[in-house]
Amino acid sequence: MVTKTEETQLDRLENQVDNGGGGAWEYLCLVRKLKVRRSEKVLKHGLSILNDPKKRSSLGSEEWTLYEQVAIAAMDCQSLDVAKDCIKVLQKRFPESKRVGRLEAMLLEAKGSWAEAEKAYSSLLEDNPLDQVVLKRKVAIAKAQGDISGAIDCLNKYLETFMADHDAWRDLAEIYVSLQMYKQAVFCYEELILSQPTVPLYHLAYADVLYTLGGLENLQAAKKYYASTIDLTGGKNTRALLGICLCTSAIGQLAKGRSKDDKESPELQSLAVAALEKDYKQRAPEKLSLLTTALKSLKVSS
Amino acid sequence: MAEELVLDTPIRNWVLIPLSVVMVLIGVLRYFVSKLMRSFPVPDPKIVKEGQVVVRARNLRAGANFIPPKSFRARRFYFSNEENGLLHVPKGQAQNPQAQMFSDPNMAMDMMKKNLSMIIPQTLTFAWVNFFFSGFVAAKIPFPLTQRFRSMLQNGIDLSTVDVSYVSSRSWYFLNLFGLRGLFSLILGEENAMDDTQRMMQMGGFGFDPTKNLGAEKDSLDIIQHEWALPKFEHRAEAVLRKLVH
Repeated sequence: MVTKTEETQLDRLENQVDNGGGGAWEYLCLVRKLKVRRSEKVLKHGLSILNDPKKRSSLGSEEWTLYEQVAIAAMDCQSLDVAKDCIKVLQKRFPESKRVGRLEAMLLEAKGSWAEAEKAYSSLLEDNPLDQVVLKRKVAIAKAQGDISGAIDCLNKYLETFMADHDAWRDLAEIYVSLQMYKQAVFCYEELILSQPTVPLYHLAYADVLYTLGGLENLQAAKKYYASTIDLTGGKNTRALLGICLCTSAIGQLAKGRSKDDKESPELQSLAVAALEKDYKQRAPEKLSLLTTALKSLKVSS
Repeated sequence: MAEELVLDTPIRNWVLIPLSVVMVLIGVLRYFVSKLMRSFPVPDPKIVKEGQVVVRARNLRAGANFIPPKSFRARRFYFSNEENGLLHVPKGQAQNPQAQMFSDPNMAMDMMKKNLSMIIPQTLTFAWVNFFFSGFVAAKIPFPLTQRFRSMLQNGIDLSTVDVSYVSSRSWYFLNLFGLRGLFSLILGEENAMDDTQRMMQMGGFGFDPTKNLGAEKDSLDIIQHEWALPKFEHRAEAVLRKLVH
């Protein structure tokens, strides 16, 4: 996770570099450290260092790391020629390296020659069957080809070993949601909540899936998770506020026959409505009428 | 001990300084040799998986109250049931690390390489120092010390009358052997420093059993009480919203 302070630091540095204030290398190091994806900038500033022999040689052995970083950024931007040049330099320097082999396979992948890339990755895996990057690239290939079930298989196999990797769980959850396999997605989101209980986005996504699944029990749980999202975000999340309203109305409809009323938090939804109205009044007054009609149709508006 | 011993300058030029220089050079040489011989071990899938299982079980334990009771029970069963739970280690199957070491020739090989790069040069230099420089008083430290330091500073000289602040050549060798770590980390980079003492500790600590970790994790997972925290969150959310609205 990139924290707020790190992000502001990164943005400040990026601004400085963009305006010719120097510090390109520090910027690239920070990008690498935080693992953020700003390929265009990396490509631009990285190349400016690499094309300047004096700056390049002053990096010492870090030069090769920069080549790798620029190559990956170039592939991300589809500047395949640049990537090819970088990889060629690295290949010359480290002829036997697996890391360079990985880059070459990625280049094949970027070109779209899936079969060849797949073959290259498989041969890399033979040497080291636990190479996380390569295993993840295979998932990416399957996804790029539109082979969603293949991607799910790959991810499941990956997670069987690396079951503490929450990024993979997140990817899997999103795939399951896109395929409307909500029960599986619920499991993945639970896993995400377990690994990072204070990230409100996971609570929100979990609540969304539970609401979609329907059924009284799931709806009640969904409402609770919307509530926790509100708590974690300080009530700033519009989606969670709307979720509370939707859940309350759906629960009301389902529980109509039964006399059991929602005794847990009767005030929550009226408060949510009030918060929504206030928020809309402040930030988008012209859309307030849309909100009130929508809430009225849910029969929750006071 | 009446008068001061006078140390000849040739002793400084031909014993003290050469000894230190040789020690540094040998350290650098050893670093490069061990770098050449180092092999990157292919991690064992089972061990990697066990580590990940432990992390995930720990997450479950820490965040248990954030998921519904049903999900928690399903997960706990998955981790710790007696048939095929991930954390359950069948009795007798717990691998003896000693046996594992012998069954895996790679591991033994690795240890050998490490030991070779450590022991051979050390014995050789020690023999060399012993042969050429035994019995010298090589240096004098500028402050007095108690008798207890005699064995440390005057190894190789069996004279009880010599003042303790004199350092014998063999002791100078030992002081260099263990004291040059800081210099190496300057020359060779922080993590590359040849760290003999640490390495010896590692050898002593060999025999760590990962299955114990699994068992401990299983026990703490078994006794955990699940109390869903989410109902409380509704009230907290109410409080948050109330503050926001008013």
